[in-house]
Amino acid sequence: MDTLFTTYLCEDTPDGIFTAIYDAWAARIPDGQLKLSVEDGYCFELFTEYVYVQTDLEKAVKVARSIAKKISKEAYDMVYLATLSRDPDKIDVIYRFLKLGFRYGHRVVDLQADETVCRLFDIQRNVSNEAHLFRGFIRFHHSEQGILIAKIRPKNQPLPLIAPHFADRLPEEHFVILDEVHHMGAFHERGRQWFLAPLHEDVMDRIWNSSESAEYEHMWKTFFRTIAIKERENYRCQRTLCAIRYRDYMLEFDSA
Amino acid sequence: MENLPLERKLEILSDAAKYDVACTSSGVDRKGKEGSMGNTAACGICHSFAADGRCISLLKILYTNECVYDCKYCLNRRSNDTVRTSFTPEEVSELTMQFYRRNYIEGLFLSSGVRHNPTETMEEIYIALRLLREKNHFNGYIHVKAIPGAAPEIVAAVGLLADRMSTNLELPTAEGLRRLAPNKTRETILKPMRQIQQGIAQSKRGETLRISRLSGGRSIAEQDTIGTTKWGFAIPDPSLPPAAALTQKADTPSHSLSDHSSGSLITDHSDRQHDMIQNIPSGTSLITPDRNKHQVFVPAGQSTQMIVGATPEDDYQVLSVAEALYRRFDLKRVFYSAYIALNDDSSLPALGTKPPLLREHRLYQADWLLRFYGFQANELLTPERPNFNVFLDPKCEWALRHLEYFPVEINHAPYQLLLRIPGVGVKSAKRIVRARRGMKLDFDGLKRIGVVLKRAHYFITCNGKMMYPTKIDEDYITRNLIDLDRKKNWEIAYDMTYRQLSLFDDKSMWAGGVSI
Repeated sequence: MDTLFTTYLCEDTPDGIFTAIYDAWAARIPDGQLKLSVEDGYCFELFTEYVYVQTDLEKAVKVARSIAKKISKEAYDMVYLATLSRDPDKIDVIYRFLKLGFRYGHRVVDLQADETVCRLFDIQRNVSNEAHLFRGFIRFHHSEQGILIAKIRPKNQPLPLIAPHFADRLPEEHFVILDEVHHMGAFHERGRQWFLAPLHEDVMDRIWNSSESAEYEHMWKTFFRTIAIKERENYRCQRTLCAIRYRDYMLEFDSA
Repeated sequence: MENLPLERKLEILSDAAKYDVACTSSGVDRKGKEGSMGNTAACGICHSFAADGRCISLLKILYTNECVYDCKYCLNRRSNDTVRTSFTPEEVSELTMQFYRRNYIEGLFLSSGVRHNPTETMEEIYIALRLLREKNHFNGYIHVKAIPGAAPEIVAAVGLLADRMSTNLELPTAEGLRRLAPNKTRETILKPMRQIQQGIAQSKRGETLRISRLSGGRSIAEQDTIGTTKWGFAIPDPSLPPAAALTQKADTPSHSLSDHSSGSLITDHSDRQHDMIQNIPSGTSLITPDRNKHQVFVPAGQSTQMIVGATPEDDYQVLSVAEALYRRFDLKRVFYSAYIALNDDSSLPALGTKPPLLREHRLYQADWLLRFYGFQANELLTPERPNFNVFLDPKCEWALRHLEYFPVEINHAPYQLLLRIPGVGVKSAKRIVRARRGMKLDFDGLKRIGVVLKRAHYFITCNGKMMYPTKIDEDYITRNLIDLDRKKNWEIAYDMTYRQLSLFDDKSMWAGGVSI
């Protein structure tokens, strides 16, 4: 009996995802029988043939390039953001969006009332919103060696979006941003390009524990306390604008 | 004045600054650069939210809470018995740098009480900013207050170091000002506002600002090379012509910034100093050509704020003033601050009076209608009907009085008309315009692109059809809309859910949208 579905499983990185799209595209599997997913945490199903995608930089670059060229730079930016999402359907949505894109060209981003286009907008918006918030909410500790160290617990994978912001902002600083959930770190050395690297948990802990608290942290907490107007206290509004989940490493919310 | 530990100063001077409303860090995009610290994002970035739900973006502090003025509504008025203290320029600079690199803040918001006189106070601010920008190479956001009555020369010099400047209007009318802020007049407030407006316009046209020099007119870097003070800012002896003053300074390198608290730049000899400024040949500029490239005057624009509820003005007056400010002074923002009764004074609302939060909320809603929705103040209010409705937001109120415009057909209506539909904001209107280019929109399509139909459906058709059978009838719609809003309005009035207004709820779109 023929299998009902073919599912491509790939690494959860932009390169892995683009490679999967390349392979699936080349295999010309009919839409109704194709699924794409990241391999981590995938729940296997019956009547499905699995293809394990080997990440291939060359294929990934080809896909990226043809999106930018045949659809638009805007479409590419959106798809790239979507690859960083935590949404389990993201690759399927990206694949369907690209099929539309190769048909309609740059106009595809205007088809916002289309279900697929709309889904892609939502997915990428969620990624970019979370990254935007972290640009503000990240707190650096100051280590004894003068390195700035921050840790985040994001839902998506915002490091590739956050790191360039800080590299531009703090060109003279050494800094590290740790993504505790995805075990990744963004590293920046003064005067150099920043880079991403996967990190083992122990290494991450070691980096994190080398940071020490300082007088400015105390002053920041004082400022945070005094700047609020008592007559206007409004914790619900505070929670809407700065959700609890972002506060893990925001020292001003430490209850001590 | 007391000399206190830095943390205690921060506590006092942030506590004293917190009633200032503006905390936006928006309006200018500036890349970082090697050798310096900081960049700015046009959309602005919030770094935290305080217990009152207000965004913390900037290190908002007063330079000093000493004040020779006695404005009745102000916590720092001369007649109040509070601990007085001042930062030094070094302290302001260091705090900003250290907070910034830890990503606590987007920059500095520096305001001040008036110590001795406005010009001297602004000179202190100038020294702090110059220290930040030139010695510490701070490239992040700076918002600074122009203090009414300060010499135009110092306002101009500060404007070249700041991203945004603001002059507080304090109260909506000149009469209110006379009653509550006896040391300020409308004229002294509008003067720097006009000056800043002209400076911005000039700077945008690419002209070099002609500014008389205050300090020998050399950048700190230059002064370092000729061996003056540690970070320059040589203070010319007012009795000497400027050039001579510079040479004299070169011989006395011990004159450092910290000496300023005892000495003065201009003020003690303000008359003579003024003469000196006059004597500088025109064409001498504070900005030397090589500094010109990054010296833009107040690139993020100008804002102001006024207190609402301390004086008896109605909403129509307040909004008309705001409209005039936007039109005649090109302001980026007008902020409204619900009066909080802090001082016990017979000419003020009694202590314990609740701040008029719902009124403030309505004014902000109307303010957005002026700035982004093409409304005019007299469309929203009139002298006969001078106050906003407690139950309905200004846009709904307008729509109900103008049912002749509705229903609006989503697939054809021009953008400006889409903006007039209650429940459709700038973001939604933009999305509609974009989405209908690709395909005809129905109600499901509208929902999918994120248009909320709760209010809008009374006022629109998709392909000629309304969502539900609805009467275009004022009473009927009013009743339904008020029901929708009742809980929310109550909560705002009673301090439960005040929300900062935001044009776009997804902030990533700010960059491409309207800067605030």
